[in-house]
Amino acid sequence: MSRAVTGRHSPDKPSHLRRAGEIWDGPTPWLILAVLWLAAFSIFPFLFAVYRSFFTFNIQSGKFVPAGLENWVMLFEDPRVWNALAVTLKYVSLGLGIELVLGFGIALLYNQDPIGVGFFRTAMVLPMVVPPAVVALMFQLMEHDSFGVISYYAYKLGLLTPQEPFLGGEGKHAMAAILLPDVWQWTPFMALIILAGLRSLPRHPFEAAMVDGANAWQRFRYLTLPMLMPVLVIAVLFRVIDLFNKSFDYVYILTAGGPGRRTEVLSYYDWLATFQYTNWGYGSVLGLFMLVIMVVFGNVLIRVFQLRW
Amino acid sequence: MTLFFLFPIYWWFLSSLKPFGEIFHSPPVYTGFEPTLSWYRTVLLGESYVTQEIQSTGAVTGEGGGSYYSVPFLMNSIIAALVSTLIVTVLAAMAGYGLSRFNIRGKVHIVFWILSTRMMPPVAVAIPLYLMYQSAGLLDTRLGLILIYVAMNLPLGVLLMKSFFDDVPRDFDDAALVDGATRFQAFRMVALRYVWAGLAATAILAFIFAWNEFLFALVLSGDHSRTMPVAASTFVTSYGTEWGYLAALGSTAMIPTLLFILFVQHHLVRGLTLGGLRE
Repeated sequence: MSRAVTGRHSPDKPSHLRRAGEIWDGPTPWLILAVLWLAAFSIFPFLFAVYRSFFTFNIQSGKFVPAGLENWVMLFEDPRVWNALAVTLKYVSLGLGIELVLGFGIALLYNQDPIGVGFFRTAMVLPMVVPPAVVALMFQLMEHDSFGVISYYAYKLGLLTPQEPFLGGEGKHAMAAILLPDVWQWTPFMALIILAGLRSLPRHPFEAAMVDGANAWQRFRYLTLPMLMPVLVIAVLFRVIDLFNKSFDYVYILTAGGPGRRTEVLSYYDWLATFQYTNWGYGSVLGLFMLVIMVVFGNVLIRVFQLRW
Repeated sequence: MTLFFLFPIYWWFLSSLKPFGEIFHSPPVYTGFEPTLSWYRTVLLGESYVTQEIQSTGAVTGEGGGSYYSVPFLMNSIIAALVSTLIVTVLAAMAGYGLSRFNIRGKVHIVFWILSTRMMPPVAVAIPLYLMYQSAGLLDTRLGLILIYVAMNLPLGVLLMKSFFDDVPRDFDDAALVDGATRFQAFRMVALRYVWAGLAATAILAFIFAWNEFLFALVLSGDHSRTMPVAASTFVTSYGTEWGYLAALGSTAMIPTLLFILFVQHHLVRGLTLGGLRE
């Protein structure tokens, strides 16, 4: 593409200007900074993790001891990993499902331009700008078993009992307790992305479908949904990555993985292994395990939906 | 529906104005309490919380020397988020343009690699990063936070900018090139003009994610660079949680981002189309 126009400089152009501009004719200068930056912050941590995964950290001597495949074998024998994986998958799928459905609903509603849509749209941004750690603290206050405002109404409505509150008890509702802040915070994000997508859809296919007598569901199913797909796939991809990796903030503050291990997601277990049990080798294995899951997921998603870059 | 999403923020703000006893009242208190600004006075002005607390509760909590004065933490957060956003926006625009305009061998793989750096679990990156920063003297510095926030936000930024540039017909650039502009001039004076909304959306998202970040700040920052979310989490002491200070800090912390967003709000919704729909 760029080669085709190489002879474009007008002959009267000063030669020093021409030369100065020509370095931009190839892709390298455009990409180099971003790529180097990312490489510096991903390749070293990655190689470090791979290397460390073959050592165990001896806390008495403060030294790393070669451990062969020990940490990797442990990954498959450790029941806590499989518990954490199950908890994480439940968390990701519930969170994503609720946020997608609610987000779609809100976006379709707002797309009808109800009165005051401008105000509401602005208001919807608010949850996103509160740091998840602070959101978790907000919900800790509101979900408190004796003076939490959400708990109070949940008791009134019979959704919860003081014996089995959000936080504490046997933890029957602990998953809801950590899902609630995530849904609250990121449903608006979904809604805004979908709304933006809806707004940019072309009108003609819809008009044609109306003429052909397609009903609202058919128009949604065969026009809206397929045309929104590229937007949805990217939104889902980034949401899943964050649900998977960053649920840490909520769990760390709200439940610390408990009660029992009911909310011990992988990212939190990795944190415990690394920082609490100072088992860096095993922590590295867990981190790599998480990375593999995400890379596989990303590949599958992109293949299935044939995302073009 | 929107009210459901606004309620927690309303409640939080209400709590920040409540005197100590009312925060913990059940059934919930909406009106009829005497609003107080004492939480804000401590958090924003650094007035002695000990004096205030003795007056209001008759008890002193918190360990000696602990302070709830939070302006420095807010400043750390604002600086880290703002500077990293600026760098991300510039680098992402350039890289996005490069990926969009040039035929590169293995482009799909480059793009997926960029995406995959975002998939690295922050928990796993924290330790190597800590060691890297230790040897480079970057621990507990704002610069250190800025560097990692740029790396954290680049993948999304590059992908977004690439798709925005993909929407701008190449003919536009080529016309400028034929007229004697350099590639860089075509980028700056032609292509960039058409992706303005997208650039704003990228900046907003980068700002939000940097502003919200917790784990890296928890591990890499210290007294000189602690950000607001980490400071907030220290309000949970072994004696109990300082809800009043937290509510005041949380309410204050919404203001900078909100201002930033109100400023560019319509760009956000337009830009968030992610550019994938024009074909």
